[in-house]
Amino acid sequence: MSSTQSNSPPPFKVDRRTRRKRLWQYFVRYKSLFFFGAITLLLTNAFSLAIPAYLGEAVQLMRDAAVESQAQAATSAEAGNILEAFAAVRSEVVTAAIFIILLSIGAGVFRVFSRTTIFNAGRHIEFDIRNELYDKLATLDPRFYSSMPTGDVTSRVTNDVTYVRLLYAITFLHVINAAIAYTIALQRMIALDLALTLWCLATYPVMLLAVRFVTQALFSQTKIVQAQMAAMSSRVQENLAGVNVVKSYSLEEHEIADFSRENQQFYKENMKLSLARGGLDALVIMMATVGTLVVLILGSQKVIDGSMPLGTFVEFNAYVVAIAFPTIGMGWVFSVWHRGLAAFERVCEILFREPEIKDSPDARTLEKPAPSQGTSDAAPLGHVRFENVQFGYSAEHPVLHDINIDIPAGSTVAFVGRTGSGKSTLAKLMARFYDPDQGRILIDGTPLTDLLLRETRSEIGFVPQDPFLFSMTLGQNVRFGLDALEYDDTIQRPAPTRALLESHHGQQLSQEQRIQQAVEVAGLNVDIDSFPEGLDTLVGERGVTLSGGQKQRLTIARALLIDPRILILDDALSSVDTQTESMILDRLEYLMRGRTSILITHRFNALARVDKIYVLDEGRIVESGTHHELIKSAGVYASMLERQKLREQLES
Amino acid sequence: MTKNNTQNTAASGAQSQVSTKPTDPKRSSAIGSGFAEQTLGHYSDRQILLRLWGFMRPYRLMFLICLLMLPLLSGFSLMQPWLLQIAIDDHLVPRNPDGIGWVAFLFGATILGRALLGFLQFYLMQLAGQRALRDLRDQLFSHVQGLSTSFFKRNPIGRLMARMTTDVESLQEALSSGIVTMVGDIITLVAIVVILLYKNWQLALVSFTVVPILLICTAIFRHLLRMAFREVRVKIARLYAHLQESVTGISVIQLFVRENVSAREYSEINDDYRHANIRSIRYDAMLYAIVETVGSVTLGCIIWYGSGQALSGVVTLGVLVAFIEYMQKFFVPIRDLAQKYNLLQSAIASSERVFQLLDTDERLPVAENPKPLPTEPFTIEFRDVWFAYTEDNWILRGVSFTIKPGEKVAVVGHTGAGKSTIIALLTRLYDVNKGQILINGTDIREFDLNLYRRSFAVVLQDVFLFQGTIQDNLALNNQNVSLDEIQSASQTVHAHDMIMRLPDGYQHQISERGSNLSAGEKQLLAFARALVCKPEVLILDEATANVDTDTEALLQEAVEILMTHQTSLVIAHRLSTIQKSDRILVLHRGEVIESGSHDQLLAKNGHYGMLYRLQYSSEHQEILPSITA
Repeated sequence: MSSTQSNSPPPFKVDRRTRRKRLWQYFVRYKSLFFFGAITLLLTNAFSLAIPAYLGEAVQLMRDAAVESQAQAATSAEAGNILEAFAAVRSEVVTAAIFIILLSIGAGVFRVFSRTTIFNAGRHIEFDIRNELYDKLATLDPRFYSSMPTGDVTSRVTNDVTYVRLLYAITFLHVINAAIAYTIALQRMIALDLALTLWCLATYPVMLLAVRFVTQALFSQTKIVQAQMAAMSSRVQENLAGVNVVKSYSLEEHEIADFSRENQQFYKENMKLSLARGGLDALVIMMATVGTLVVLILGSQKVIDGSMPLGTFVEFNAYVVAIAFPTIGMGWVFSVWHRGLAAFERVCEILFREPEIKDSPDARTLEKPAPSQGTSDAAPLGHVRFENVQFGYSAEHPVLHDINIDIPAGSTVAFVGRTGSGKSTLAKLMARFYDPDQGRILIDGTPLTDLLLRETRSEIGFVPQDPFLFSMTLGQNVRFGLDALEYDDTIQRPAPTRALLESHHGQQLSQEQRIQQAVEVAGLNVDIDSFPEGLDTLVGERGVTLSGGQKQRLTIARALLIDPRILILDDALSSVDTQTESMILDRLEYLMRGRTSILITHRFNALARVDKIYVLDEGRIVESGTHHELIKSAGVYASMLERQKLREQLES
Repeated sequence: MTKNNTQNTAASGAQSQVSTKPTDPKRSSAIGSGFAEQTLGHYSDRQILLRLWGFMRPYRLMFLICLLMLPLLSGFSLMQPWLLQIAIDDHLVPRNPDGIGWVAFLFGATILGRALLGFLQFYLMQLAGQRALRDLRDQLFSHVQGLSTSFFKRNPIGRLMARMTTDVESLQEALSSGIVTMVGDIITLVAIVVILLYKNWQLALVSFTVVPILLICTAIFRHLLRMAFREVRVKIARLYAHLQESVTGISVIQLFVRENVSAREYSEINDDYRHANIRSIRYDAMLYAIVETVGSVTLGCIIWYGSGQALSGVVTLGVLVAFIEYMQKFFVPIRDLAQKYNLLQSAIASSERVFQLLDTDERLPVAENPKPLPTEPFTIEFRDVWFAYTEDNWILRGVSFTIKPGEKVAVVGHTGAGKSTIIALLTRLYDVNKGQILINGTDIREFDLNLYRRSFAVVLQDVFLFQGTIQDNLALNNQNVSLDEIQSASQTVHAHDMIMRLPDGYQHQISERGSNLSAGEKQLLAFARALVCKPEVLILDEATANVDTDTEALLQEAVEILMTHQTSLVIAHRLSTIQKSDRILVLHRGEVIESGSHDQLLAKNGHYGMLYRLQYSSEHQEILPSITA
């Protein structure tokens, strides 16, 4: 905002503490879900890790029964005795089996709850962050958007937020799961055999480090692959953009060879990535089974020398298998965590950005029109005053110098000048996309910076040079500015009801009728009638493709519908033929009575009818006056007009 | 919406009216709702898989080896429970230490073997899959290169790029590991069934009693998951479209203070997306849990039934433990089946889009028996040429003119008169709608397209430089051009000094589209290139870009030198160029309305006279004050 601001400000960064705090805040917001998730995880593990004990017991029972029966068979006791003993053992084993089944069902039920709550919490956080990002993006000004390309912005909102979600969901699930599984399983394992437990765990740190190493390699190689993908894409982009040149020079073969080289490089990098991926897979497989190997080597010795019952052996093995997967999960957590933090940093670069253009603490609304709004007898509105305004997009290169303009309320003025003379910048300052470096702009007596930004904009009908339309229906595009007035509680201005056509003067109309009239004022009614679905026709790929002139007229209708206090047409009729232009200007004359219209144009038939013309050159007002005055003075304006007339003769 | 409502609010005070606005009704279409979603379904799954196989065919040996590895891999994995069984039955129960070391050794060997073989198989499969994808991308790119200019006019660059990059990428999983893993899973499943039946068919049947339930459950959930995933995909596309458009149109949103309304729309779509995801999470978790539960129930069943058998000595304890282990291995692939299926589905959708592009065949007609290019200098004739980019919107209306060998012709006219179209037609980017373009009396459509185009050197305003050295760019990949030739050409058009000022001179690397060079420097390079390739005809669209006065003088001289070397057709923007031309064609609304030398046309004081006064008179005064009088 100050003129001392440097040309390229240092890249916006959010410090680590602020980021960590924010990260924690999202977690706290869903703490009940995470808590519930942790509890259900605990229950899941409690149930599923109780199974090995019953399994061990069952095996041990059968083993003992078998040994006994062998012993009895050896002493050739009565068969009935054996059968009786078997029946008793059998019922015990069956009880164990029933317990196993019940525990499994319990574990299964709780697993559903734990997985859904934790993953859902991630989705809720993702939902919140996306909404917050969108809200923030809606407030950021053009300076921000010129510092961050569109693709970058959208990629942060889509891809990076996904990584942040995984950071919460995956990290929490695996860390808690591993903690619980280890606590329960280790406790049982140590109770069964401490030495064997230590031996089994001995391999895990090594494996864990290996997994971590491989995942890090995996992610850094993924970055390389993505960069190569980007290089290949930009190669394709370059080729498609220059397709005419490629064809004129018969460069196809060269281009194909060039693309093929990038493609080959991409393939090579991908194969390097495969190395890491294959390595990770192999490690995971090894981790899942290496514990069993240790049990098999050391445990079997103990069973054979009698220091460990067979049931314990089976039970122990089941625990080893049960903690293998949480361990693998922890290896994954490292990389998800790293990637998530990096993504969150990028997210924060939008989230914590403050717009340069914002309301001052004591900002107020524009003075309201008299109750009999819209009728011609009301006091005119829309007085605009520039006082010593100086402005540049960067401090070193001012675009506007010493602008002093007073546009009386209710008048129609025009700005003319060559491309780059600063006309559009002037319009952008009025809509407060930027604040002047020096001087001030007043609307109806109040400095723009003292007014509520959005309230003021809601009174300005701005038709930009580039007629941007959204992919929605024609009708929705026309009523685009009405949406806020009707549905947004933070905007105090009510939706206007005034008629747009003189034939309905003084009538209060429904918005449907007003939309019809706005379309008619913009001279678009015939075009719209020719579409089978009329105003419900979709704009864009699935609907009609509008011509440049149709788009311009639609953006004019859009601006008129909000019944603006100040209407700014920034070269908005350049693709409209002069006859239609005259008709639109005629109808505007009624509509904008008592309001201010500002035209930026080259066409002299529009210039002949305005109250005052300002001629801009290299950011300064060099001439001003009415059309006739300026012609008489035979200055810049007169010669410009001369050339313009010639051009129009040529083109006619 | 309601008249009374708004009237009231207009009259009442600022504070009291706030809450009277009705809440936003759910809109049928928000920002971005006009985005097209790709229509699919022109090919059957079978056709698509067959065509994909076409790309795998060259690497079928690798593919075959991978398939042969699969039984081995399953074997390693299925050996483990067996070894455990042996350990229990032969060593643990009878407490016999002899040979237990071997069992442990073999167990360790299966772990290592499985890991190594698995790695090898994965890598080999990636090798085949990635190569197939590389070939597919190459084929797509060269296919697109051959498509006609009008195809590019209709298809946005973004869409074509997505076909060649992201769509091919999403094939990767399916092509390089998906299919093989699925085959491997099936082998494992079948093997387990066979092994268990062989070991003890009664116990096996008991173990498998739950399988039908499992199959029904997975079928139901697979269906539900598929629907949920589809929903997620639709919602994410809408979310992305809304965001993308909001960011590009942010200034319009802010101008019309629609930030909050748009944010509400976004939040609604975001909410739909969240719920679609939550649905898929629920189904996924339930499927996961069901498979796990069924697995554990099976475990219970095995113990229940098996204990009776074990106690009566029909099966050994080891067999029982092995059964439990086998059944655990049985359920893992079933659990992951849903995800793999989903992966395959999206791969098929991507392939369909890719194949649609490959099947687009919009090309300029090729001459059946192309005539050889004339060896004598070219005489160019436009004979009553009519052309329109879109139906009935005529850009050229009956243009006729002849350019004799060595002649220098300038085309002038205001924007939209059809000047660039003449160049596009002469270099055959498009074919004429009516009339003919002839070279020495032969219709240009009868020549070989590439050979024909190579006989022109085209210098457009937008200079096309590719990544590589200056030398590469000037030689245009022609190995026969020596550095001497390039240097002398550069010297002729005054580009040499400028090139020598760059680091590494002729070996200077040009970055992306020459972003490290100024507009003037690029123009000079383009001139040098045009001279190097010794064309029959020079076509030049003079740049209007702002360059400093020194460069401007340099360029002007260079153009003059360039034009003296061969027949040339120039879209002239500089007065000096026009004055040096033998003839000027004045184009207006797609017709040649005047033709003659500069002086002749000025004397006539017609359309050219007006154009001259408008466009060149100021330049005239500044640069050539002597002629003004």
